[in-house]
Amino acid sequence: MTEALQNLFWILIFPGFLFTIVLGLAACWIVRKVSALVQWRVGPPLFQPFYDVMKLMGKETLIPQDAQRTVFIGAPLVGLAGVLLLSTMLWRITLAESDFVGDVIVAIYLMILPSLALILGSSASANPHATIGTSREMKLVMGYELPLVLAFVVVIIKTASLVEPGRQLSLVAIAQNAPVLSISGMLAFLASLLCIQAKLGFVPFDIAESETEVASGIIIEYSGPLLAIWKIMQAMMLVALPLFLVMVFLGGIGRSGWSLVWGIGKYVLVLVLIILIKNTNPRLRIDQAMKFFWVYCGIALVAAIILASIGNYYGINWL
Amino acid sequence: MKQEELNNRLSEIRDKLINIEQTMDSRIFLLCEAEHSFAVSKFLFEDLALRFVIETGIDSEDCFEILYHFSNDETGCVVTVKAFIRDRENPSIESITPFIPAAEWIEREIHDILGIEFKNHPNMRRLILADDWPEGVYPLRKDFKK
Amino acid sequence: MSWKIWSLKKSVWVFHVNTGACNNCDIEIVNLLTPKYDVERFGIRLVGSPRHADALLVTGVVTAQAAGRLREVYRQTSKPCVVFCVGACANHTGIFNGAYHVVGPVDKIIREVDPKAIIAYVPGCPPKPEAMISGVVKALSVL
Repeated sequence: MTEALQNLFWILIFPGFLFTIVLGLAACWIVRKVSALVQWRVGPPLFQPFYDVMKLMGKETLIPQDAQRTVFIGAPLVGLAGVLLLSTMLWRITLAESDFVGDVIVAIYLMILPSLALILGSSASANPHATIGTSREMKLVMGYELPLVLAFVVVIIKTASLVEPGRQLSLVAIAQNAPVLSISGMLAFLASLLCIQAKLGFVPFDIAESETEVASGIIIEYSGPLLAIWKIMQAMMLVALPLFLVMVFLGGIGRSGWSLVWGIGKYVLVLVLIILIKNTNPRLRIDQAMKFFWVYCGIALVAAIILASIGNYYGINWL
Repeated sequence: MKQEELNNRLSEIRDKLINIEQTMDSRIFLLCEAEHSFAVSKFLFEDLALRFVIETGIDSEDCFEILYHFSNDETGCVVTVKAFIRDRENPSIESITPFIPAAEWIEREIHDILGIEFKNHPNMRRLILADDWPEGVYPLRKDFKK
Repeated sequence: MSWKIWSLKKSVWVFHVNTGACNNCDIEIVNLLTPKYDVERFGIRLVGSPRHADALLVTGVVTAQAAGRLREVYRQTSKPCVVFCVGACANHTGIFNGAYHVVGPVDKIIREVDPKAIIAYVPGCPPKPEAMISGVVKALSVL
């Protein structure tokens, strides 16, 4: 009984739902404030993302007449559930050091759920702008999923030489080392950083939700509490995805003392990198984005895999 | 082309015009009747290679006037063809869209607003009036009552 | 004051509607949203869809073609929302008063859809961005 209550506490309050939402909205504020400072202006006040979500909860929900109601209402909830599960899993691995073999694969599968939910939700809104947004998001997902998986394959290859066989696929073992301190690891880290940028829907890859081109394509028909759920989902992704990158590439977040502070610093570093890329680049077209992911990232990652395999075989660590 | 050459070439179509007026160095008006406006515009566009700028429709009290503005980009001189439509009951003029496709929309607008029929226009549809505006009511005519 | 109105005052998302304006007011609205005036301090953000909006910035005298569209956009904005009539033409048809294509000033069209709509007026031809900011602040303090 207390076991179930404690698990419920983990999932709903700390460090699951409530904690990740608060952290995610704070991360949203960091993104907007740093963007404002880069543009030489004062940004929004600290609690602005919280005010946004609260205001959205208080507005009426308008559902278009021709929309497919079940999918329209269910898609945000599915996306939220996926991100909630992912973030709870990652926090539990960080804080309680309890994992299972193969949880990297589960994490990669859960990371697709938000994008899939966006595609389903926007195709259920009966709107030509949303249809354009759907096709763009589908092409974008096809573009960046393969480089993301290849980047993790690089990490798994590098971890293979450092842990006992059978534990390569567990996040705790991966998080002990920092593969970024090697050539193939650095290549994989940069490629996966850009894939995360696309997954979060930030410039230069915010092709699907471009406000000026397709009038907020994928979420154009959403209003009120459903829109608030999309915003919460995006905020939680802003916590879960850089955290995942930190654990896989940069050596994880420690549990206490200096390693905890150093770990939080690593997370902030990844966040600031994402913000700086966001503020210094224009938006790409969808064909440019796909070419970028398949050709440039693909070639770089194939080279990284070859280097990592050679390094693994001969025992050279910095390859 | 230079200004003297332009003036020389304009005398080639003198027979189709009522008059040539030059009020300033950079402004030449060619006055003609509605029947000859097609040939004059064709001459200016194709033989003299002037650039078509815009068309204007005017409701004078006793006639309609259609002005075609062509620009000589080298000297900045604008040559305007002023075509008089004497028939106020059924005003019509030859459309220049067949050889200047850029004139399609401005002729549709003049038809909407002044009610002038453009013969041989490839796509005469309503352009700027509202969808529920009644047919045959032309707002910018002098005898239009709100 | 309920939490809905309180949070609405803290975070206003605007959507810009042009119902037949000469574009002067539209240029000033776009000026307002540039980093120089930095309205993100007040929580104001430009959104791309009326369903996400809390405030409609309406410019232009309402032409016959645009009247139906304006009514539809107002219906699609999720309530509670505020309508800002920006510029002399939107307030009282300005210099186009009595023209053949003018259906009415903006508040007449909006009140046909919703007699209890909240409408604020920002005069000027075009109004300066500072005037628009002061109009928004005054309207939100009365809510």
